[in-house]
Amino acid sequence: MGFEVETLKFEGPLDLMLHLIKEQELDIFDLDMEVLTDQYINYIRKMEKLELEIESEYLVELATLVEYKSKKLLPSKVEELEDSYEEDPKERLVKRLLEYQKYKEVTKELYDSYMDRQDQYSKTLSVLEIKEEDLAYSKLEGNPYDLMKAMNRVLRRARLTKPLETKVTKREISTEDRILEIKSKLKKLPKKFSFDTLVEDCHDLSEYVVTFLAILDMAKEHVLVFTVDKDENIWFSRGVKDE
Amino acid sequence: MSENIENTAFVNEEPKNMAAVVEGLLYLLGEDGIKAEQLALAIHKSDKETAEILEEIKKKYDSDEFGIELVNYGGVWKFITKKVVYPFAQELFNNVKPNTLSQSALETLAIIAYKQPVTRVEIEELRGVSAETMLRRLLARNLIKEVGRSEAPGRPILYEVTEEFMDSFKLVDLKELPDLPNYSTDDENTELFK
Repeated sequence: MGFEVETLKFEGPLDLMLHLIKEQELDIFDLDMEVLTDQYINYIRKMEKLELEIESEYLVELATLVEYKSKKLLPSKVEELEDSYEEDPKERLVKRLLEYQKYKEVTKELYDSYMDRQDQYSKTLSVLEIKEEDLAYSKLEGNPYDLMKAMNRVLRRARLTKPLETKVTKREISTEDRILEIKSKLKKLPKKFSFDTLVEDCHDLSEYVVTFLAILDMAKEHVLVFTVDKDENIWFSRGVKDE
Repeated sequence: MSENIENTAFVNEEPKNMAAVVEGLLYLLGEDGIKAEQLALAIHKSDKETAEILEEIKKKYDSDEFGIELVNYGGVWKFITKKVVYPFAQELFNNVKPNTLSQSALETLAIIAYKQPVTRVEIEELRGVSAETMLRRLLARNLIKEVGRSEAPGRPILYEVTEEFMDSFKLVDLKELPDLPNYSTDDENTELFK
């Protein structure tokens, strides 16, 4: 055996199957499952011989192919019944292959525009920070995940600026009470304020959490509208439902 | 000249050529660029007027007299160097090597861009391989973002492409993506594809 350079790299079992179909000149719309299965097994064996690691995904598809083949070999009466409510595995495979091929094909074009763009540079921002008022014209919106990320940041900062008290807390406050507290505060606050203004009076973790829950509630009720900027600062303004 | 005079001049008298101001601002903004609506507020012009100014500048820089061009990717306007500069930049700078994207990254991105918002499982079903590591990598490169959760069981995270993606693939709008080839098993004209 000569020196065989088997450096073909596949993106997964579907990619491998598409390659085999092309190589064997099979008709994808009338797929010869037997040839495909044999070739697929051949390839896996080759990989084993070369002591290449075979990812589990390849084995999953292998199992499906072999199952299909063995079902075909067995004389079966039940099969007809089964087929009536189960999608034919061959049809399903063909559908998946075609769908995958679609995306695989457009990647060529995408890759070209990506590489094209790589040849063009821009310089970095000249001024270090964009004015905070810029927030005024960024739309007030955000999703809970932005808010969560920002909350984590606040907690991190809180941990750094003041050590959290370790003793058992004396002051316990319910979310409802906290909402009332914040609402009374709202009137004194500017149109736009940061999360930090709301947690100024928090002393321990549970108070931060209660405040956070209260804010979530208020955002849900549209009493508060929030936005999260690039630096993960949370900004609030009074919502449409002013109470 | 004192700061005072400059300030009054700016507030009271509009510069003769607003396009020149915009050009300067775009230069300062560099790779960050700016959205037309944001720019409109900064220069006290309507969105329409601002768009016209931007188009005007873009047209001007399209001429081969200039080494930079104005682009709009995903709604963000910015100046970038023209391709003709690239080989010479290679001569001048040491580490100007392109950031490549692997085939699996491209496939994952393509699926997200065409089908967004999309869950990890949908991507995995389509590609036949696990997508977890790739999604993490693409998130880290800021090419995709999490946009919430699907209503499906387990409330899986939904992914979409970012502005950074639009820039990297030179797209103004996702509608500009190349059409997906239309294979189909269902209808009878399958012979076409043989």
